Amino acid sequence: MFPILASAEAENVVSELLGKFGVNWPFFIAQLLNFVLVIIILKKFAFGPIKVMLEQRRTRIAEGEEKLKRIEKQLADSEKTTAAAIAKANDDAVRLINEAKQGAHAFTEQKAQEAIAQAQNILAKAEAAATADRDRLNLELKREFGRLVAATASQVTGKVLTADDQRRINEDALAKVEG
Amino acid sequence: MNRRPLIISLLAWLSSLVPALASEGGGDASLPLNATPVFESFPYISNSMLMVWLAVALITLFCRAATRKMALVPTGFQNFAEWLVESLYDFLASLLGDYMVKKTFWFFASVFLLILVTNWIGLIPGVGTIGRYNGHGHIVGFLRGGNADLNMTLAMGLTFAVLWFYWALTENGIGGFLHHIFAPKGTFHGLMLAMMIPIFLAVGVLEIISIMIRPVALTFRLFGNVYGGEQTLEKLMALMPAKLAFLPALPFYFMELLVGLVQALVFMLLTAVFLRLICEHAGEKAHH
Repeated sequence: MFPILASAEAENVVSELLGKFGVNWPFFIAQLLNFVLVIIILKKFAFGPIKVMLEQRRTRIAEGEEKLKRIEKQLADSEKTTAAAIAKANDDAVRLINEAKQGAHAFTEQKAQEAIAQAQNILAKAEAAATADRDRLNLELKREFGRLVAATASQVTGKVLTADDQRRINEDALAKVEG
Repeated sequence: MNRRPLIISLLAWLSSLVPALASEGGGDASLPLNATPVFESFPYISNSMLMVWLAVALITLFCRAATRKMALVPTGFQNFAEWLVESLYDFLASLLGDYMVKKTFWFFASVFLLILVTNWIGLIPGVGTIGRYNGHGHIVGFLRGGNADLNMTLAMGLTFAVLWFYWALTENGIGGFLHHIFAPKGTFHGLMLAMMIPIFLAVGVLEIISIMIRPVALTFRLFGNVYGGEQTLEKLMALMPAKLAFLPALPFYFMELLVGLVQALVFMLLTAVFLRLICEHAGEKAHH
């Protein structure tokens, strides 16, 4: 059984030892077959499927982790995009408000200027009207005064005054009054 | 702290002292060194062979139960089987490396499970005690611990030796294998190298003798431990009357449970380490 032990004496010792322990070819081969059978059964029905399942689970976990990382990245990107959009919206809103404020201010200024211009216009018109009225009243007053002076002179002198006399008397009287 | 198990164990120990002191030289029960045919009409079926068949049947049933309806979220047997296989795989990977464990896991895990199951079912009451009387008036058990038969342990030891040689050659090549055994380890030049060559040649010869002894050592270590344990239980049980025979052996049953596990681990670890020693650099080429 063990060709390595060459000498006959050694063979005898080994044979005796193995015989004492009940080692013989039929039992040895039967146990060897049992062992091989266990290996085949375990490999085919246990280790194979279980390792496939473990590998499948490991792959799924790795995929899940990969997906999680991707989702986290997408979330971070999305948060960044949202923050940027909010910031942009804020900027736009501030700009619009400023523009509106500026527009309103310009409009108010414009309307105020228009109101001022209108008021000045009204004042000017009123002043012009007042001046015209005063001039007209002055003229009427001068005429009346001239007529009174002429009438008075005519009554005092008893003479009918000509148009030239009346004009000259009026001018003298007015010059004296105004002087 | 719960002291009940301790007290029970102590009582069991003490109970064994009484008959031991009272007996005259102990019982005559003794487990024969060799496995014996179960029936005289079937001389090629031994009682240890039946035990191994039982172990094979149990392992097969367990495998079928664990892998019949596999789910991605494991439960029950599948959960246990996955835990067992994954733990063994990771443990062996830490010893052998990722490359070698992929190639050799099936062998080491099978060895571990077969030895473990065979050792533990060998402790079931009735193994070795239920049987028939032989011509000398001794009971020949229908069942005998599978690893208490040198044929079984020798089959495993020699199978490993053949596989070890195959893996060593395929991973190292013939040149690498011989270099691993005979070449000087370390860097030597000139005269030092010339002096080292004969020394390492002699070391190589010792290494070959060591390699040849390994399966024998594996065989007898496992057989000796299991046979010794069973013999101890037999002797202890013979110390008491039949109805109380279990008492002195009871504490040793727990120890034998542990021995069954430790021996399965030792056999697997030693074989894995032997392979690791010869395939230290295996897979590096593929890796690079």
